[in-house]
Order: sequence, then structure tokens, then C-alpha cells
Amino acid sequence: MHTIIEPFRIKSVEPIYFNTKAERKIILEKAFYNPFLIHSNDVLIDLLTDSGTSAMSSNQWAGIMQGDESYAGSPSFFRFEKTIQDITGMPLVIPAHQGRAAEKILFSVLGGKGKYFVSNTLFDTTRANIEFSGAEGIDLVCEEGKHPVIPAPFKGNMDVEAFKKFIEEKGAEHIPLCMITVTNNSGGGQPVSMQNIRDVKKICTEHHIPLYLDACRFAENAWFIKMREKEFADSPIPDIVKEMFSYADGCTMSAKKDAFANIGGFLAMHDEALARQCRNLLIMTEGFPTYGGLAGRDLEAIAIGLTEVMDEHYLQYRIRSMEYLTNKLIAAGVPVMQPAGGHAVYLVADDFLPQIPVDQYPGQALVGALYEHGGIRSVEIGSLMFGKYNEQGKLIPAALELVRLAIPRRVYTQSHIDYVAEVIIEVFNNREKIKGLIIVEEAPTLRHFTVKLKPVQ
Amino acid sequence: MKNIKHSWAEPYKIKMVELLKMATPAQRKKAMKEAGYNTFLLRSEDVYIDLLTDSGTSAMSDRQWAGMMMGDEAYAGSRNFYHLEKVVQDVYGYKYLIPTHQGRGAENILSKILIKKGDIIPGNMYFTTTRLHQELAGGKFEDIIIDEAHDPENDFPFKGNVDLDKLEKLIKKHGAPKIPYISIATSVNMAGGQPISMQNLKALRALTKKHKIRVIHDMTRVAENAYFIQQREKGYANKTIKEIVKEINSYTDGATMSAKKDALVNIGGFLAVNDWDVFEEARNMVVVYEGLHTYGGLAGRDMEAMAIGIGESVSDEHIRARVGQVIYLGEKMMEYGVPIVRPIGGHGIFVDAKKFLPHIKQEQFPAQTLAAEVYLDAGVRTMERGVVSAGRKANGENYFPKLELVRFTIPRRVYTQAHMDVIAESTARVYERRNSIKGMKMIYEPKYLRFFQARFEKL
Repeated sequence: MHTIIEPFRIKSVEPIYFNTKAERKIILEKAFYNPFLIHSNDVLIDLLTDSGTSAMSSNQWAGIMQGDESYAGSPSFFRFEKTIQDITGMPLVIPAHQGRAAEKILFSVLGGKGKYFVSNTLFDTTRANIEFSGAEGIDLVCEEGKHPVIPAPFKGNMDVEAFKKFIEEKGAEHIPLCMITVTNNSGGGQPVSMQNIRDVKKICTEHHIPLYLDACRFAENAWFIKMREKEFADSPIPDIVKEMFSYADGCTMSAKKDAFANIGGFLAMHDEALARQCRNLLIMTEGFPTYGGLAGRDLEAIAIGLTEVMDEHYLQYRIRSMEYLTNKLIAAGVPVMQPAGGHAVYLVADDFLPQIPVDQYPGQALVGALYEHGGIRSVEIGSLMFGKYNEQGKLIPAALELVRLAIPRRVYTQSHIDYVAEVIIEVFNNREKIKGLIIVEEAPTLRHFTVKLKPVQ
Repeated sequence: MKNIKHSWAEPYKIKMVELLKMATPAQRKKAMKEAGYNTFLLRSEDVYIDLLTDSGTSAMSDRQWAGMMMGDEAYAGSRNFYHLEKVVQDVYGYKYLIPTHQGRGAENILSKILIKKGDIIPGNMYFTTTRLHQELAGGKFEDIIIDEAHDPENDFPFKGNVDLDKLEKLIKKHGAPKIPYISIATSVNMAGGQPISMQNLKALRALTKKHKIRVIHDMTRVAENAYFIQQREKGYANKTIKEIVKEINSYTDGATMSAKKDALVNIGGFLAVNDWDVFEEARNMVVVYEGLHTYGGLAGRDMEAMAIGIGESVSDEHIRARVGQVIYLGEKMMEYGVPIVRPIGGHGIFVDAKKFLPHIKQEQFPAQTLAAEVYLDAGVRTMERGVVSAGRKANGENYFPKLELVRFTIPRRVYTQAHMDVIAESTARVYERRNSIKGMKMIYEPKYLRFFQARFEKL
């Protein structure tokens, strides 16, 4: 097989600032071992997130120049609306400044005490928004999804039997909606199969529970369906996408992922009455319904990005990039989530650093080591992000201790990725020197963004 | 005033243009009907001159566009954030910065942090989104603006001033602990873009200091307010706009900002405070609503454009041309006999709809009617600022504000003198046929901020 090359060339570049290991040691200490507190100028390769960090295309930049900034009724909105209607088949489209704002609105309307939102796995801000409304978020990912190093084709699938059981237990009337995250971000960017979406939809229909997609990475998920689900081997991506959305009553999307935008999101649905309620809330915190807190130019960039992402050459290159890095790490014996996900490579931190107990946050310790050694910024997805305390104040750990290396779209080259692999392997070979961390200061919700830590002596 | 007309030539030339379509009268008639006689619901393609708002509609400078290309889109610690933080500290003088995607994002967070149920928030006239966030947080807004502000024909130079007696009475009645802060706007929007004087601010500061009450500044048009202080207040003629802005802010404890106005950007805002504890709480809250505290729901490039725009917004040449253009339009309208709020404000012309259409009762929405008629004449889009915008009280009754206005808001650096001429001439034509204009009734009314989406029918 030939090397899979990028289906684009570079039109504009941004310099990377270099620093030394000694400098990074001090920077890390000053940032309290929290990558969110490091200045981006001090980072060589920024794999903190694939959200909002994409390189836009020249077409998107042209759209940026064409943005109509009228407060109401901008043609940029109507182009945005039509693109989303065409892709999702959903008639009602509500823009928001980010995905979390779309979620905030949806869960403010539907949430509340005594309600349960069921999902394969909810992402951190989604869960926070659900809990903020007083409701509970329930993760029911399939068994394969709970074992990071055992490969399976659709580890993002929802456990259908567990879902049935949960409905029996709690009653459908307490479940305002079921949300499938595609791909399953917290579970390693693992895809959900079309068959699983169909099965979940069937149960939802039986119990009159609306099905929503958290559609941030819908195109990456569609590519996996095409590659791994026989029925779809010859289907064009837009058809697969259309079918995925056809089972959903609505969706939320952060356009900062698969729409290659640096800012923006939306909520789309079929339910007219719900949309009206959402728009009333939108005006209060986001903006008028034809801009939703976005500049007109951003609506243009999203509309263009949403169509670009369904290009098969792009998706092949995108998914191959994750495999490339994953395979290099597997060859060196580094414990890594398998198979490779759609937008990131996940290191299994508790296997990587078995000497560090869970309450000393092995994932966060590994994040610090990668930064100090090679200037790579990554993020912990484990007990620091999802851990809770019991009544005695003891840590209830998360199911998985992972470190995510999220690859921004169209930004880094193969030599950047080679460098990343080398740094990880070097850290792996010196892993016994890495120490755990303890928390000095933390916020009650979403603590990982602002938490301060220090190394265990 | 005469010499102002000759001195406002723009301190810039045009680098990029946006083409306009000109709809026919028949097309406009159809478009207005489809929009339920609400100018918010018009498609901007059907509009010739868009004076709906000066919010987010500015033309950015070539430097701002260059800044857009320098956006650092890192999720955390973007260098654009640190640039913006420094500019806010240097130009505005506030210590701690939380960026937000818009001004209302900052209002939402601030209201949630400072207001407890049953609190009273005095302010120099309400603004729609500000009051709503105060009410949603459990507070009650009390108007403490001077009475002159409610009289469109009174020529008092500082109609944005606070009536300190009204404030003292409120403090006496409710007690200082029930008042988490005083909400002070510069260039009071609903009063017609009217400024507050420095002397009034100083006196307000002295009074609130005595009672240990915070002053929070709605600073979206602070530079325009500073211009009026420079022109009208003794002792400020030789001070720069930059110096005056900083002095205004020094009498307040924090600010919410929609950077879409003064700061010449299309999107963005912030919350700035001097109090560490408020800042810390805001930083934790912004993650849930807006985004991580080093981007607040903005692209890096938008923070960069804002940092550059703030610098441009406090230049004396810029503000002179900006307000000069507004005054040019206002004087032209007065020549035609159109009744407008006086003195002319900083960001737009506010036409007095009660006087323009005295035969239409306030229940029949004279300002909403006038906005529709102005659009029909030449495709100029304006906004109602009267009974529809005022909304309903908690008990369901309509607020009937004294001012029933149509706002002609002038976007910054976008339109030329010839555009201003078209606007004045068109308004004059509508004025000539005013007696044949009939009122309207509301056929759809949303629960919150109804003016955005309400629909009407001609009577």
C-alpha cells in the first residue's frame, strides 16, 4: 500500500517557539502541573485538544471574508442553516457559540431533578451541564469499551441490554432523552456502529424516548462505519451520515471538531415546540437566533467546513494519522488504547505508570512528563477529570486512566508525529522515575481546567 | 455645534467594500409583511441601510484583520488572551479579565455571582438583557436615572446622570446589604445614548463608598461617553479620550463589556473586575457557560481583533468622526422637522415616535409602526425602543415606558455621508405622510425579550 498523503497543501504557517527541557521544568512547576495553565507559546506540539484547533481551508478563509455581520437575518445564517438541514435532515437549526452552549440550552429545557440522561459515554462538559440542571447522567457503554487494550471494531457502542434494564428500573418517563456520542470521545474516540444506532433507536421508539446524537465527530464515525461495517463498504460518506442522523430526533454539535471551525456549535431538531423553548433561552445567554453569539463569518466557515469534512480522501488521511502513531507506540511496547480512535491516541496511564496509585493521578503525572521531556501538551482523561469523592472524602476513581493526545485537524505533519512518538517512547523507557501528584487546590465542578497540583515527595 | 459638522471627516480610507442590493418598493412590502412587521425578522439581504444596531456591525481596520490572521487557537493559554488582558489593564484600568463570547455572557455570570434572591439593583435606566439577567438571578431593577432622561426634549447635557437623592432613598428603604451593586451604564442606550458626567460619577463613588456598595460599569460605549465629557464638562477639554476613559473606570469596581460596540469587533465581550474573589468565582463559572477562562468562547483571532480595536476606539480622531457623523444625521433630521431625542447621543438618532405619530396610542405600538414605515420607504432598517422592548412586569402587565422611540443606530466606520443623507431624506418623506399611518397589534409574543421575535399585524 502506498503512503496516504494529505489531500491538501499548506497555504499559511504559524511559527513554533522552541524552549529547553530545563525551561519547561520551571514552566510546568509554575503551571501547577496542569496543562490548561501553560501558555500556548511555551508548547511545542499542542495535543491538548482537537477542538477549535483545526487549520481552516482557503475556502473557509474566503468565507470568513464574506461573513455578513448583520445582527438579524444575515445570509451567512441562511447558508449555515441550509447546510445543516441538508446534512442532518433536521429542519430546525439553532446556532450557538460553542457545543457546550447548545447542550446547556437543551438540558436546561429538558433536565431537572429526578431525571436521567442515558448515553454511551457523556463528555465532561455535557455531563456538567446535565448535573447542573439537577439531573443525572448515565453511561452505558458496551463491555468492549471498558477494556482499553483489547481491540474491537465498535467500542463506542451502547450496551443495549443495559439500556433496556435501566428503562425497566427507572421508567421511561424519567428519561427525557438518550444521547449517543459519535465518536465516543471519553471512551477513546471509538466509533458507534450503524447497527447499534438502529438497535438503540428501536428501544427509544418503543418507550417514546427521543434519541439525540452528540455529533461533534460525525464524519469520523461515518468513516469507521464504512471501513468496518460490511453493509456500508460501498456507500458514500454523505449517505452514511444521512442515515446516522435519520435515526435521531435531534443533535448537538461543537463545530470546533468535524466542521474545522475555530469557534461555534449548533443544536438541530425536529420538534417545533422544543425549538421554540430553546430559542427563548438562546436569546438570553447566546444571542439572536440568526447568529447565536457567533460572528457571521464563523457561520460561513462552519457551513463550508461541514461539507469539506465528508471528503473520503480527507477522512482516510485523518484516521490513518491516528493509526500511524498508535502502531509506532505498539511496536515500542507502550500501552495504548486499541484500535486507534478517530481523533486522538490514548495512552493507558495506569499500565504506563503502575508504580503510581490512582489517587496520585498517574494520567496527570504522565501529562507532566510528556511536557517536560518534549514540550508536548496532552490531557488526562481519568480520575482527575471524572473522579469524585465519597462521603468520607476518599477518591472514587474513574473507570479508565487515560492520557489523550488529540491531533488537531490538518495542522501537524508526519515529522511532527514522528517526534511525538519518539518523545513518548523515551518517556516510556524512563517511566520508573516519574512521581505521582497530589491536589493543592480545586474547584467543585470541572476541576481539571483550573486544578493546582504538586509532586509527591 | 455648527463647527462639528465640518470637522468629522473620517480618519481612515476604505480598504474593502461589501456590495449592497437595493430591493424595489414591492419587494420591501412583501418582505416586511413576511417579517411580521418586526425589523428583527427581516433578512439582511432585503435591507439597504442597516441601522438595526451598532452592535457587532463595525468595519474592522486592516490592522484588526491582520490580527485575525495572527489568531492563536490553542484551547488554553493562547497568546491573544495575554495580549487582550494587557490591553484591558492598560487602557481600561481593571485588574482581572474574563473574556466572554458577548456582553450578555458577562452579564449572566456577574448576575449569578453577585445577586441573591430579593436583592435590589439600582441603575441609570434599564437595558433589556441586563435587567433580564438581574431578574433571572432573583434581583429587582430600580431606575435611579435623573428625571430629565425621560424627557426627549430636555437639552440637559448629561441625561445619563444618576439622581443621587433617588439612590439615597433606595438605600435608606432597603438597606445597603440588600444592594449588591449599582449598575451604571456610560452612554445610556435606552435614554438615547446620553452620557453621564464625571462629576456625577465622582459623587456616586463617594456615596457608594460610604455605604460599601460596589459600582459595576456597563462600559460598552465608554469612549463615546468620554467624548461628551471632553466636549461638555469643565476641566476636560484638554484631556485625551484615553485619559477620560481611565478616570471613568477608576470610579467603578468592575465592568461588563460588549466589545461589539466601542471596541470595533464583530463578536466578543468580557467581564473585568478588581476584586480577586469575584474573579475566582467567575473563572470557575465561565467554563460552564462560555469556555475556558483563557478563551471564554471566543476564537483566538477574535480576542486579537478586540485587543487592537480597544486601542483604536480610544483615539480622539476616531471618536470625533464617529460622533460627528451621528450629529450630522441628527441635525439634518431636525432641519426636516423630525422630532428626535435631544441632545443628540453618541451612537444613534432616537426618533420620538409619540410625537411623530401622536394619533397612535402606545397600546398600538407607535415606535414599532414607525420602524416598519421607515423600512418600507427606502429600505432603512431601524429598531423599536419603546413598549415592545420594555416587555412585561412580573405580574404580567405591560411596562409603558415614557420614551417611545425608534433607534437609528449608526454602525462604526461603515456608512458614508451620502448614506446619512438618504436616511434623513427618507425619514422626512415618512414624516410628511405621517397622518395616514395606522397602528398595529401584536399577534405573537415570546416570553422573554419579546422585541426580538414578536410578530404584528397592521390595524
